[in-house]
Amino acid sequence: MSIFIDENTKVLIQGMTGKEGRFWTEHMIGCGTNVVAGVTPGKEGQQVEGTDVYHSVRRAVVNVEAEASMLFVPPRFTKDAVFEALDSGIKKIVTVADGIPLHDAIQIRKAALSEGALVIGGNTSGVISPGKAMMGFFPYWIERVYKPGRIGVMTRSGSLTNEVTAMVVQAGFGVSSLIGIGGDPVPGTRFAEMLPYYEADSETDAVVIIGELGGSMEEECAQMKRDGLYTKPLVAFLGGRTAPEGKRMGHAGAIVSGGKGSVKDKIEAIESVGGKVAERPRFVGDLLKEVLKK
Amino acid sequence: MKLFEYQAKETFKRFGIPVPASVVITSIDELKGATDKTGFPLVLKSQVLMGGRGKAGLIPFVKNLKEAEEKCAELFASNYNVNTILVEEAVDIKNEIYLSVTVDPVSASHMIIACADGGVEIETLAVESPEKIIREFVDPDIGLMPFQVKDIAFRLGLGGDIMKKFSSVLAKLYEAFRKNDAELIEINPLFITGDDDVIAGDGKLSIDDNSTFRQSTYEKTRDYYDSDAEYESALEGIPYLQFDGDISLMCAGAGLTTTVYDLINYEGGTVANYLEFGGPNYKKAVKAMELCLKNDSKVILMVTFGTIARADVMAEGIVDAINRLKPDRPIVTCIRGTNEEEASKILIAAGLEPIYDTEEAVRKAVSIAVGGKA
Repeated sequence: MSIFIDENTKVLIQGMTGKEGRFWTEHMIGCGTNVVAGVTPGKEGQQVEGTDVYHSVRRAVVNVEAEASMLFVPPRFTKDAVFEALDSGIKKIVTVADGIPLHDAIQIRKAALSEGALVIGGNTSGVISPGKAMMGFFPYWIERVYKPGRIGVMTRSGSLTNEVTAMVVQAGFGVSSLIGIGGDPVPGTRFAEMLPYYEADSETDAVVIIGELGGSMEEECAQMKRDGLYTKPLVAFLGGRTAPEGKRMGHAGAIVSGGKGSVKDKIEAIESVGGKVAERPRFVGDLLKEVLKK
Repeated sequence: MKLFEYQAKETFKRFGIPVPASVVITSIDELKGATDKTGFPLVLKSQVLMGGRGKAGLIPFVKNLKEAEEKCAELFASNYNVNTILVEEAVDIKNEIYLSVTVDPVSASHMIIACADGGVEIETLAVESPEKIIREFVDPDIGLMPFQVKDIAFRLGLGGDIMKKFSSVLAKLYEAFRKNDAELIEINPLFITGDDDVIAGDGKLSIDDNSTFRQSTYEKTRDYYDSDAEYESALEGIPYLQFDGDISLMCAGAGLTTTVYDLINYEGGTVANYLEFGGPNYKKAVKAMELCLKNDSKVILMVTFGTIARADVMAEGIVDAINRLKPDRPIVTCIRGTNEEEASKILIAAGLEPIYDTEEAVRKAVSIAVGGKA
């Protein structure tokens, strides 16, 4: 198993012929991803890395079966691209775009909820099941970070994910599936919504969430655990413990105001259901050893 | 982008929401002309973005021209960077309501927040009397329905003519929220006057930064920022916050930079500035270092763990910045990620001693900063 993506998942790439699209198509294939087709309006008939490109998602899915779509599309066109994928019945979508308009993000998430689809992102590096496949841009070749293993990771961050995951690997573990929820105020999918998938995944023993100040996603994870919908160990690292209130430090989704969304509240919520919170990235490995008695 | 009150009220006017008679002035010479239009008594409202303007004495109530001139001179001379004053007629207030529109990320809807006890910050209301706060969720695909507007009005205890006027204000406020790509649009207080009119007493409008390409009404000026450095960095698109400690951060990635900020505090150090040059800014090392050097810091700490932002490209940028700017203080580097081996070679060749562990780099920066003090 794995969650969201493995080597069998049939992946379409929207925006494949752009500079970024080409570069990361090559690496996605290099990582093991089953890329079945690309889409760029006006470029049908071309190929990238031996994969056929079509004018539209509709035209692509007539010719090939696709389960998931990876978007290398600029922020202002992301809403359209997501709706195009949903229109063709694609239920797993990853968008790495940084700068999706807020009101577009609300409509994207609304549509995903109505369609029963998972839209991951924006403002994320994507999704990776190390050793199997990825959708997004991860330096999967850095072994001290992207080593296959049995720890699920979810994150709101990019560079910090590398930092924390390196500590997971240093402690002797590896990663089953990593989901980059992203740093936007309105991500398409929230932490807690992915927990049931990790719960059901026979290849995941525990989940690490890499969160930060602001919003309520960490508290929602605690609620899932309280409700018994997630029963495996939960370890968190949360950035911004000492951040001053009211300043926009970190991601746009990370502002704390009116005493809500503080790291202190998040720690209390997670610890109240038996979860562990690491004060420093380095302690994530120790806490995993503790909860998994390794 | 947070707008000033007078700009929010300009928007309200455009959408047909009643506001008190007012004139915007930028010097004391314009005061007389303004008061001729508004009459007395009036309120001098300093146009600054900080909260708690009333408590800070930045919105004095004045009864005559002499008093107005004195207060106006004081405000322009204050330490709060007051460059603009909204001269506004004083309204006969019978009642104050809180009203705003924002987004709810969980349900993916728009959310109307209302409360019959206006005039107090909503955060205070949420703590002190949460049961009084009315929340109404609006489907973004359908929009605000008239029955929802009426229901909110009833729950606020409004009736008759006031209810009709309130309903019109709420419908227009929601329209303004959508058309302006707002994160938040707020009227607090919304006045119910002695004549049963419904008027926006204050106005907040915060436009989503990701939507400015389709919302070009207001240009960012120095007035929006607390310091020159924050303004300069905003023009470059580099996230920057000014503090007054010893260590300048020049890091990449919002989450990682925030974590380094925490680690410095744990180790007993202090931060001079938060600066993040990751993502699309990773080639802006020269500009980033220039901003750091304007501070009175004792050391510059660079921590990165890049994905798309290649470590070797960052290292080249850093060395280029050092060569051009000849920094007068030590630099601690911890540059990792794609092509990190190449990055290390570049840094070593430039005479730096790259570190590979974040905490070790933080401890080194703190010890330099502390040593510098002694």
